Amino acid sequence: MSLFNKVLIANRGEIAVRVMRTLREMDIKSVAVYSEADRSSMHVREADEAVCIGPGPSRESYLNMQAVLTAAKLTGAEAVHPGYGFLSENAEFSRACAKAGIVFIGPSAESIEQLGHKAMARKIAVKGGVPVTPGTKGCVEKAAWAKEAAAVGYPIMIKAASGGGGKGIRIVRDAEQLKHEAEMASSEALAAFGNGEVYFEKFIDCPRHVEVQFARDSHGNAVAFPERDCSVQRRHQKLIEESPSPAVDKALRARLAEAAIKLAHTAGYVGVGTVEFLMDKDCNFYFMEVNTRLQVEHPVTEYITRTDLVKEQVLIAAGEKISISPARALQFEGHSIEHRINAEDFSRNFAPTVGRVEEWMVPGGPGVRLDTHIYQGYQLPIYYDSMLAKLIIWAPDRKQAIARSKRALGEFRVSGVSTTVDVHKLVLDHPDFASGNVDTGFMARMLEPRVPAEPAAAK
Amino acid sequence: MDIKTLGKLTKWMETTDLEEITWKGDGEKISLRINNSPQQGQMLPGSSLVAVSSPSIGIFRFAPAGKSNLIKEGSPVKKGQELGVVEVGKDHKPVLAPENGSVRIMSVEEGKTVEYGQPLFFIEPR
Repeated sequence: MSLFNKVLIANRGEIAVRVMRTLREMDIKSVAVYSEADRSSMHVREADEAVCIGPGPSRESYLNMQAVLTAAKLTGAEAVHPGYGFLSENAEFSRACAKAGIVFIGPSAESIEQLGHKAMARKIAVKGGVPVTPGTKGCVEKAAWAKEAAAVGYPIMIKAASGGGGKGIRIVRDAEQLKHEAEMASSEALAAFGNGEVYFEKFIDCPRHVEVQFARDSHGNAVAFPERDCSVQRRHQKLIEESPSPAVDKALRARLAEAAIKLAHTAGYVGVGTVEFLMDKDCNFYFMEVNTRLQVEHPVTEYITRTDLVKEQVLIAAGEKISISPARALQFEGHSIEHRINAEDFSRNFAPTVGRVEEWMVPGGPGVRLDTHIYQGYQLPIYYDSMLAKLIIWAPDRKQAIARSKRALGEFRVSGVSTTVDVHKLVLDHPDFASGNVDTGFMARMLEPRVPAEPAAAK
Repeated sequence: MDIKTLGKLTKWMETTDLEEITWKGDGEKISLRINNSPQQGQMLPGSSLVAVSSPSIGIFRFAPAGKSNLIKEGSPVKKGQELGVVEVGKDHKPVLAPENGSVRIMSVEEGKTVEYGQPLFFIEPR
């Protein structure tokens, strides 16, 4: 199978622009789809062709499978890259692409379904010999809640089978709270995901969020990359990601990579994906979930390993082999940090802001990569997420990377909308971040130093 | 649910990107849906003509298969009259005249690819 001539990007914002850059380097034409609210968006300007597929609200445009597939057919695109969010982890869409004779640049519908269902993903992890947190063997019926919770041992976490992004997770410290919390979790999950099934896991206090990028091709070759540490989160939303993790040494890195590869083989996964782990203070790591898409933070991996993950995605989707060996994938140089710059008002509890970007002067220079779709004069549409840019830093070591991050953040000049640039500066100035001593509760403690810290919650 | 609450809900929905909400309780079930069709019947600046926009991406057909089309430039049309359809997958989305009047310009041809919001006809209102 030869590579594609034309690929449609079923996304918007920075990730659509980022995917188009690789396509251009591979001499593949790109087709943008856009909503009426995105007529003047960067991804429309950067593409070789652009098609309007619907009105502003995502459900009528970027989530409208029929409109996206029709756009692909009418423009003669042979494949669709879903980016992240929107249709990227939608099994039905992957299946609809296959049915329409269009290649979905991502895993099969079956893989998305299996790994997107948390309890099923956990079963695959167990089968592949990947360590999991002690917990129930799948979803728990209401009648068995008390018995199963006691068997796992308090404190426990209640999780929604179809959950993600931290939604539907509740922490229960004793049997008294159990009934109430489990009922709440179940009804929340039903409302949010249309599935009220829950399961229990042991709650790990103050964990780090460590994840491993992996790739597996249709010939059965699998590679895993050095871990990313995404412990700096606010309400389960990642703010800063770095690679390698300051808490992981070479031996542990090899074990993490081995676990990711075992998981990919066991699941029969074809594509690029990420396995997320929780890591306790003694560096025991436990399987959390698999993301069956390209992730927001993929550039830190690209930076230290000098690879292009979008290129690998395209190669794998075209039936080619992964272009690097497992040993090469684990080789890296230096340290990389990513800062997510959002249009949010830090002083108003991170409320999203909208408006026109009046001034947009961005950092540059050695070791600075900026992935963005923003330009001066751009009017932020109200319909989509608040991310403006990803500032990705590379330096020979972590200390120099932090210094470079501070320098680059200092070069950012944005007016017209509020941004989270200053929050990143606060994190970088914090002694715990400088020493690499962070867990998923770090942000909550930093932002509310006078209030007793909320227990570090696992994603 | 009383009319006042419904009005408030609708106003509030317009400020969000929600398209549809369903409320259930006390034996009642109420669904609200915001209309997101492209803005029809917009007057062109400096002209008395009104544009008729495509309701979807897809392929334009003057009439569903088997029916003959009678629309030509100059044809009189009635508000709500079907001027054609846009085929998207298996769906046929009707293109409706927003006003009474006559077709002044046809900017689309049979079987052409159209985008969402693309003007297909210009009507002179009567």
